[in-house]
Amino acid sequence: MMELQLGPLGSAGVFLAFGLALYGAVAGMLGAQRRDARLQTSARLAAVAGFIVSTAAVAVMQAALLTDDFSVSYVATTSRIASPTWVKVVTLWAALEGSILLWAWLLSGYTALLAVTAPLSPLRPWAVSIMQVVQVFFFGVVAFLANPFEVLPVPPLDGPGPNELLQNHWMMAVHPVLMYLGFVGLTVPFAYAMAALITRRPGTEWMTQTRRWTLTGWGFLSAAIIAGGWWSYEVLGWGGYWAWDPVENVSLMPWLTATALIHSVQVQERRRMLKPWNLVLVITTFSLSILGTFLTRSGVVSSVHAFGSGPVGPAFLVFFLFVTLVSFGLLALRWDDVRDRADLDSVVSREGSFLGVNILFVALTFAVLLGTLFPLVVEAVSGDKVTIGAPFFDQVTLPLWMLVLALMGIGPLLPWRRAEQQRLTHNLAWLTGAFVVAGGLAWLLGVRKVYPALTVGLAGYNLMSLGLLLAGALVPRLRLAKRSAFAVLRSYAHESRRRFGSMIVHFGVVVIAVGVAFSAGYRVDQQIRIDFGESAEFDGYTLTAVDRFVERTPQRISSGAVIEVSRDGRPVRTMTPRLNVFGDSRAVPTPAVMYRPSHDLYLNLNSTVGPTTTFVVLRVVKSPLVTWIWIGGFILVIGTAYALGGSTRTVPARATVRAEERAQA
Amino acid sequence: MMLKRLLPPLVVVVLLGALFAFGLLRGAPDRDIESALLGRPAPAFELPLYERYQPDFGTVLTSADLQGKALVVNFWASWCLPCYQEAPVLQAYWQEYQDADVVFVGIQTQDRDRLNEGRAFLSQFGLSFPNGIDNDSSISVDWGLYGVPETFFVDRDGRVIHKHAGPVTAELMDAKLRELLN
Amino acid sequence: MRRFVPLLLLLLAGLALAQQVQLEARVFEIARQLRCPSCVSESVADSNSPISQQMRVLIQEQLEQGRSEEEIFAYFQGRYGDWIMLDPPKRGIHLVAWLLPVIVAVLALATVALLVRRWLANSRKPIEATPEELERVRRQLGAAGAQPDPAPGTDGDI
Repeated sequence: MMELQLGPLGSAGVFLAFGLALYGAVAGMLGAQRRDARLQTSARLAAVAGFIVSTAAVAVMQAALLTDDFSVSYVATTSRIASPTWVKVVTLWAALEGSILLWAWLLSGYTALLAVTAPLSPLRPWAVSIMQVVQVFFFGVVAFLANPFEVLPVPPLDGPGPNELLQNHWMMAVHPVLMYLGFVGLTVPFAYAMAALITRRPGTEWMTQTRRWTLTGWGFLSAAIIAGGWWSYEVLGWGGYWAWDPVENVSLMPWLTATALIHSVQVQERRRMLKPWNLVLVITTFSLSILGTFLTRSGVVSSVHAFGSGPVGPAFLVFFLFVTLVSFGLLALRWDDVRDRADLDSVVSREGSFLGVNILFVALTFAVLLGTLFPLVVEAVSGDKVTIGAPFFDQVTLPLWMLVLALMGIGPLLPWRRAEQQRLTHNLAWLTGAFVVAGGLAWLLGVRKVYPALTVGLAGYNLMSLGLLLAGALVPRLRLAKRSAFAVLRSYAHESRRRFGSMIVHFGVVVIAVGVAFSAGYRVDQQIRIDFGESAEFDGYTLTAVDRFVERTPQRISSGAVIEVSRDGRPVRTMTPRLNVFGDSRAVPTPAVMYRPSHDLYLNLNSTVGPTTTFVVLRVVKSPLVTWIWIGGFILVIGTAYALGGSTRTVPARATVRAEERAQA
Repeated sequence: MMLKRLLPPLVVVVLLGALFAFGLLRGAPDRDIESALLGRPAPAFELPLYERYQPDFGTVLTSADLQGKALVVNFWASWCLPCYQEAPVLQAYWQEYQDADVVFVGIQTQDRDRLNEGRAFLSQFGLSFPNGIDNDSSISVDWGLYGVPETFFVDRDGRVIHKHAGPVTAELMDAKLRELLN
Repeated sequence: MRRFVPLLLLLLAGLALAQQVQLEARVFEIARQLRCPSCVSESVADSNSPISQQMRVLIQEQLEQGRSEEEIFAYFQGRYGDWIMLDPPKRGIHLVAWLLPVIVAVLALATVALLVRRWLANSRKPIEATPEELERVRRQLGAAGAQPDPAPGTDGDI
């Protein structure tokens, strides 16, 4: 009797997906070159087939994980019988091989979607082919370098389970998927930009075709970064959410360039300027996402989260160099087609502010890249070992972040072309007023640190800016139509989805900025020892160590302390920080967090607790406004989704009116 | 013409490639950092010894007891694989040099409360030079320790002349002991 | 002379030292500037490795002795060198890291300023258009139903 073996089945799926991607890439390019519609259609069908096959491979891996089939190498090295079902499902992306399979699968999904839904254009066949070239790399890595479906001749009876930090929190189910959705989403504009360069059509077409893809990718990447911070906060037990670790930095860099891109493309859409620059941004964004994967998968820079090394790191390096050389090389070759005759009426204009956005975000990217790679560069040049840590990043980037906030308030208020002096003065007066009032109020209320006080001032300034923007849009409409303010707002929000969505996003950014400024500037850390039955004071709270406990489930052993928290004699909350031990792994602390709008109280065990221990040592952290970051992140994602919801309108022919006027003059 | 245009991206790619290739080839990033103690007096220490050394060296070995002698101070941990590699080498050289003007000191570190594991390690290799545990890592901090194993060579004037990260080899021991005893 | 303290007792004392001490908030502020020696890229404040815990205790002790932040940093730099500082000292090779962002920012600003000057000049030049081109523009505008510019500052959909 034949027994169904999952390993070979999955391998077959992966190899088939690799073959289909290779075929699709070659056929699509030939088809595009020769304008052969049949070849092009065949390549698009290959994209769809590749998605079906790779979906099957992922399904096989899930089946292997859920049925504890330890003859499959990935299951044997990362899964465990005792894990609950949700852990087994997310184990797919808990280690290197699986996470690349996931990435490849999402990529094939986007490619298929693109092949089916993208409108016919001279760019499409090339764009689909380029997506398939990227797929060839990813499926190649899965098939040849890090195959998770290898068959073990002697399967173990049980596995070690996924990394203990990853199975300790449900957030791990979300964060990597969001990250890959972001990276993959930003592959689409890259593919279209390459197509535009190849076909010598470097106009705005590639941007308008991919506007939604770019924004979707950006939204997922933003959500991923916020979710990653939250995971770090909930799991790692140090009471923070961002440590400027290389892994965090490499996820931030493509986000920074993508943020520059989504602003900068508007200048090209409106004013036909910055054509070459936008191409540089889109290529850089994609290159950086590959570079980041290389850096974190190869152990080249020291990071807490580094995955194990192996042939995958060098493969990503080669791919990164290939991508960079080919794409920038192509851009250099097409330079004459790309260059544009830009003209600028005034620096004080919307396009001027977008120039500022570009400078700031590129400077931020450079600072982060420098801080991440500097130790490596110094070691390569002189052999010295140096350290660049969080304080460096804070000091270098904080002034830039403040400038970003400042520009975010004034930019949307400036009209294209040239700002009218009177209007500008009026707006600036309001903004400055709000800045001074908010900042001064914060100062009076005791916010004496520079950056938090500045941030509050800039938050007030930005809220004023949003108010002015809304008023500017709503007041004329209210005068025209005699409807209620709410109805007008609703119709405006509906008509100008992108504009209104961007306001929501900017509001989310303000909320995040305030959260970051206060949680970083006014965080209090203490290590407190409490005997059981006794109490200790911490920043207005009384912590009483009531009891200790040990729990056993098949999945883990959990030991911890029961801490009663009270304030002014009134009980507030009972918190149970604990240590979890999964299987044979080391103990992972699981902090207990009390979420509050004004501040979080965060307890983490710093000592082991057993049935006979008489005391507990706690790391106690009070972080003001840290919850605002998660709320702001949520608002930001909602805003992005809102902006994506509407139909894509074409740019009205306003620029041409002006051109005519000037030509007549 | 084409080549001239391609030059800038090519240069960038070559430079980045060289940098990262160096990164891949150099191995673990944070090993082999030059000690800040080189050429300076070795920090004083008080090391509580394992039972098997107490008859010969007392319960606590202090740096004051060892004044005027050259030292080979080796930091190890029971979970560290390279430490298992180097232990026989250290024991062999200790037997060869124990009558010379040098003392080997073994310090178990980053291994809190794992006394039984420490004892097992010591008896597995029959280490006869004094070994103790630095349970609160205070000696390790004083010596500027990064990881295990690390070995410090201290001359008879009490100055650190060399630090070695990673397992010691026979060649290294030969060279450094000669340097210490000359 | 040699004290006869049983090993275990001494160990417990050491253990007690590392675990039982209360640490005030300033300890963590200082520890956040120091790199944990036995970890990869974590600060002494964030890491819970034995050596970091001991370093936090040392910081607390030195604070109690009235030492300043600089003296405490100097203490650790004396043992570990500049490597221990997460905040790279502003001298030697580290200066490059501190200055490079500034230099690049200035260069970038200068480049953009030059470009902007050229673009501003471009916009003052009249656009050269043949009558046919003008006619085409007019035709297209008519077809698109030329929209008036919305009020400045309230720029409609983008």
